[in-house]
Amino acid sequence: MRSFIISSSAVKIDRYYDKNFKELAIESIKDLEKKISEPLEPEALIISSVAVEYLDKQSNMAGIIADYLGLRNIRVYRVESGEASGLAAVQIAHSLVTSKAVKKALVIGVDKLSDMSNAKIAELYSYLKDSDYIQIHGVSPLSEAALLAKIYMKTYDYSYEDLFIWPFTMHQNSPDTPHAQLRFKISPDSYKESPILAEPLRLLDSYPFGDGASALYIVSEDVAEEYDVNVSIEGLSSSNDVNDIASREDLLIFSAVRDSFIKTLKMADIELGKLKYIEIHDNYTPNAFIVLESIGLADRGKAPELLQDSMIGSAHVNLSGGLKARGNPWGATGIYQVHEIFSALLGEFKKSVLGEIDYAAAQNMSGCGDVSYSIVLKRVR
Amino acid sequence: MMFERSPAKIWRNRDVLYRLKYSYCRDCKRSFYPPRGRCIYCGSSNIEHRYSSGRGVVKEFTVVYQTPVGFTDMSPMVIGLIEMEEGFRLLAQIVDVKPEEISNGMKVEAVLRRMIVDGGTGLIYYGIKFAPLIEKS
Repeated sequence: MRSFIISSSAVKIDRYYDKNFKELAIESIKDLEKKISEPLEPEALIISSVAVEYLDKQSNMAGIIADYLGLRNIRVYRVESGEASGLAAVQIAHSLVTSKAVKKALVIGVDKLSDMSNAKIAELYSYLKDSDYIQIHGVSPLSEAALLAKIYMKTYDYSYEDLFIWPFTMHQNSPDTPHAQLRFKISPDSYKESPILAEPLRLLDSYPFGDGASALYIVSEDVAEEYDVNVSIEGLSSSNDVNDIASREDLLIFSAVRDSFIKTLKMADIELGKLKYIEIHDNYTPNAFIVLESIGLADRGKAPELLQDSMIGSAHVNLSGGLKARGNPWGATGIYQVHEIFSALLGEFKKSVLGEIDYAAAQNMSGCGDVSYSIVLKRVR
Repeated sequence: MMFERSPAKIWRNRDVLYRLKYSYCRDCKRSFYPPRGRCIYCGSSNIEHRYSSGRGVVKEFTVVYQTPVGFTDMSPMVIGLIEMEEGFRLLAQIVDVKPEEISNGMKVEAVLRRMIVDGGTGLIYYGIKFAPLIEKS
């Protein structure tokens, strides 16, 4: 069973001190609504947000946003699965539609990281780790990624400067991404001189804190036939790993990323080589390389060498600029990724690079591959 | 800065946090921490819980400058990947040593230290960190 995406939209990731969670979420569907030229009539609203309770002192966010959108008598859900919440929410929408529980589902991802201090955001980010036994030591995905960077460099004989290819490439891609938070290029000097977060990782190895909201309209096949434009969800799956990297048998492969991607390709019934465009979850530089190697785009330890002009193998990766430069508003990130690959399949995003493509994919994970979701989209018409 | 913790949460985890209780799988003979009811490697529920000697070796470490609320006064803070004598690995802070004096392979032992201070109530929570091993003569 397939579901179909018929419209999407995204606000520029930025600091929106003048907008609250609800207003930013509502802002994100304006373009989506314009594109289908009719009022939205979803039977389900799914909100993806990682930290609305802490950032906005708010629970029941889906019901409240439905209220502000004027939606009544519909199913409302809020989905939280760490940084992978966005694609988890898409999976819920897909399941609702393909099970015929509803015909139309509106998915909105929203988080506002600018509303709190950096130290508070660092604390909230550490909530991705087991609060009883891991987080309490001050461990966060940042310290885990820093350890992975050191192990990766030693194992595969790379210098810190060798890792620059990733942030450099992301900042080459982001200037013409309309919704990207950091639309500028960076030099090797600015990389090496940026503040240290957790050695060896520096500021430009990480993502910027910002506010974002993005939305998708997911419908059943019979509804999709009424529209000129649509893209099918051909594959969608997820997997998980132990929460602390210390207990993993293999630190340099994210098994959740690998396994969810394999299952997604199988569901879509395609080989990896069919994918010409993939958006991956690059919350930290070493994680980008490990993800590329985990999904099979590069042999182990080869991703930094093989990446050229944002291509690896026959696939373009992170043409948006990725989390590194497009931004990572947590619960919205997976929705941004799907908005990007959906728009690319329609020829409305990065067409000068991609041309016409039939398949594209996204991979959205939490922390250092603690849980991971993948999706494959196909252009139908 | 606020960092809110429940004293009950710390108390009920005292064996794991203060005595390094871990799990040993009788089937695949592997150990892991924190303890669980099923083996994270083979899925067996043939598990027994044991207590660590508290001694281990630094496999890798990082010096963290962007520390979360609750840990900002410890910045820069060293987080180490430590392999314990019993074979399991964990992530924890390394203290009582300058970062430049830490090296992979260095022997460390568990010590009781202040972990976090609840900014709202002033409650101080203690826990295990790791310091260079002092060999007893």
